Amino acid sequence: MTKFTLRALTAAFLTLTASLAFADEDPDNTFRLGAYAVFFHTSAGYLAGPYIPPGENLSATVKNVQTPYLAYLRKLSTHFTFELAFGVPPLTKAYGKGPATLAGTVPFNGQQLLTSRWLAPTALLEYVFFDDSHALRPYIGAGVNYSMFYDRNITSAGEAIIGGPTRVELSNSVGPAVTGGLTYRLPKHWSLMASYSWARVTSHLHAITTDIVRTDAISFGPTTFVAAVGYSF
Amino acid sequence: MFTMHRYWSAAFAAVLLTACGSDSTTSTVNTSTAHGTLVENPPLRIASLNAASLAAQLSANASGAQLLQLTGAPACGVDFYYIKFWTVGGSGETTQSSGALMVPTGAAPTCSGSRPIVLYAHGTQSDKTVNIADPTNTSNSEGILVAAMYAAQGYIVVAPNYAGYDISTLGYHPFLDAAQQSGEMMDTLTAARMALPQTMSSATSDSGKLFITGYSEGGHVAMATLRAMEAAGQTVTASAPESGPYALEAFGDAIFFGSVDIGSTEFSPLLTTSYQHAYGNIYKATSDIYSATYATGIDTLLPSATPIDTLFATGKLPETALFDSTTPVVTVPGNPTLSAVLTGALAVPSDPTNPDTPLFDLGFGSPYLINNDYRVSYALDAASNPDGAVPTPAAGVPLAAVAPTQTLRLAFYKNDMRNGNWAPASPTLLCGGDQDPTVFFSVNTETMAAFWSGLPAGLITVLDVNATPAGPFAQIQAAFQQAGAAQLAFYMSAAGGSLSLAQAEELLIEGYHASVEPFCALGARTFFSQF
Repeated sequence: MTKFTLRALTAAFLTLTASLAFADEDPDNTFRLGAYAVFFHTSAGYLAGPYIPPGENLSATVKNVQTPYLAYLRKLSTHFTFELAFGVPPLTKAYGKGPATLAGTVPFNGQQLLTSRWLAPTALLEYVFFDDSHALRPYIGAGVNYSMFYDRNITSAGEAIIGGPTRVELSNSVGPAVTGGLTYRLPKHWSLMASYSWARVTSHLHAITTDIVRTDAISFGPTTFVAAVGYSF
Repeated sequence: MFTMHRYWSAAFAAVLLTACGSDSTTSTVNTSTAHGTLVENPPLRIASLNAASLAAQLSANASGAQLLQLTGAPACGVDFYYIKFWTVGGSGETTQSSGALMVPTGAAPTCSGSRPIVLYAHGTQSDKTVNIADPTNTSNSEGILVAAMYAAQGYIVVAPNYAGYDISTLGYHPFLDAAQQSGEMMDTLTAARMALPQTMSSATSDSGKLFITGYSEGGHVAMATLRAMEAAGQTVTASAPESGPYALEAFGDAIFFGSVDIGSTEFSPLLTTSYQHAYGNIYKATSDIYSATYATGIDTLLPSATPIDTLFATGKLPETALFDSTTPVVTVPGNPTLSAVLTGALAVPSDPTNPDTPLFDLGFGSPYLINNDYRVSYALDAASNPDGAVPTPAAGVPLAAVAPTQTLRLAFYKNDMRNGNWAPASPTLLCGGDQDPTVFFSVNTETMAAFWSGLPAGLITVLDVNATPAGPFAQIQAAFQQAGAAQLAFYMSAAGGSLSLAQAEELLIEGYHASVEPFCALGARTFFSQF
């Protein structure tokens, strides 16, 4: 009974997608434009270095952002596609996580400490289910994420906490990325897609005030939801 | 293909356009190495405590709670800035040093706006790493003291760590080098005044009133700074040197003739290294002064990142034995009387009527630090060119020797505050405790008071916290003596170890020098409040 139901459902699904397929073959190149919703899942250690009040346990968290999504896809075969995805670098904001104030004076918890832009290209090799005759094709993929932080600026609240004008360094990160999604082919080379992805980003923060260096290890496991329109050529 | 390039170009343009911009930068770094130059502006604010937080931090331990009783509840918060500046070492080397700028903050009218500056000189530290600007370090007791005593009551505090400490790469500390240390104090003040308007506490500004104070080594530094600033034509509102070795030649004579002070095995290497760098003639080899047990490496031993107790325990320094317990027999050719007098004077103290005899005897032992030959050379110079204050104060003004020739004694003379016949031009409080076993009150404070006895009334005030309470400082004197009695009772209680009276008194005297400090600081604050 179960086997029969599964077969029936599969057959129905294939019939549906096949009926939506167009006769012309997919071109090899696709360009996508859409929107990224980035959900940071931050875990940061406690800020370490000279003159950190003992026992204060100062940490930070990052707020979720949305940003335009850009991607180039190259069809390698019927089932394999290479994707190079970018998000237009979002302005990422880090907020204090810990005591309400330092030494009763300087507001900390919830204060916006620093901002940074985050360029994070991801290269993915994707396996696309079904064949070109199907309009709706799910896919899964895995690859590598490279993250680079720039335009790092500490806020006045951050300066008050850390002790003055501060240069912030965030090391670049290379980490794994996985994705899963659906594409739906429209007429005239156009398509729609949606995906859900995850990457591992690990960065080491150096906050340099005068020549005093404080450090923190920050790990993101950002998940992203993308909705985009594609054009193939 | 063309289409593909066009899309790629658009994609990269979008990315690159957003990449425009720059990272924030840290403080401006001044490239000049001229003395007094502030290196980084604005400086790092290590901490910002409001009045309640400072009170809570002090109340968290017994010594802090006692200090709080003495200082009174903080009226202001305190911002602690860590300043770095260029100064000059003991032999003219350009070097970086560091220190504290503590700025009062808060809504009370005494906590912001135009406020007076206290320029503070700290006492001797064997710990090279200590930073007086750091309130997060609980061993920075002197930094906490001046913050609570002065900054939390509305005074801007400026205090160097001293060359040779903290970030300074000088390699030695110009200990009791009046010219260097006064110059560094002035450099610290110059740098702090440059920093103040750029800080996050710029609501507080310099009123122009300047008070100078310091304790122990810092008492000497404070007095030398007063002299140097007056010589430079700079106005000092008032000063309060505390428990300092001002009459350095007399103090040296007292020690070399057997009145060995607590701490002398720590002070000696600091002194000889300092003066060797300043004058170049203290020794050809450290073994000229030091016994073979300790001579190797003693010129670079202090200050050190290694705790002083570890240096004692590992045999780098003797804990108390400054001199050889086998004392020298002095032979002055053709002068048997002087030979006998000097031999007797260099013997281990044995006067049973002197209550300090057991204390002085601790300064003799084996292994010992300073060899007998060197001690004899010093004593011969003292006999030939006697100081007016030691061994017995001469009638009238106790002058320093005119022309000592032994190089260490000559260095003491050069840094003796009597040298040059200078006297303060602004009101000066000399504070200390008459039982001080580390920096002798009679040899230093009373000698200077006698030396300046001819000055106009009111210019010099002496506060002995151990004297019978009287006058404007009676409460401070009474509080000091009550604290001593309470400490003695504690030592004799079960909680304090059930010590005998003699044992308790011995412990009390060991801690006497440090115990005077907060009371003298309160005396100084009381004194400054008049101006």
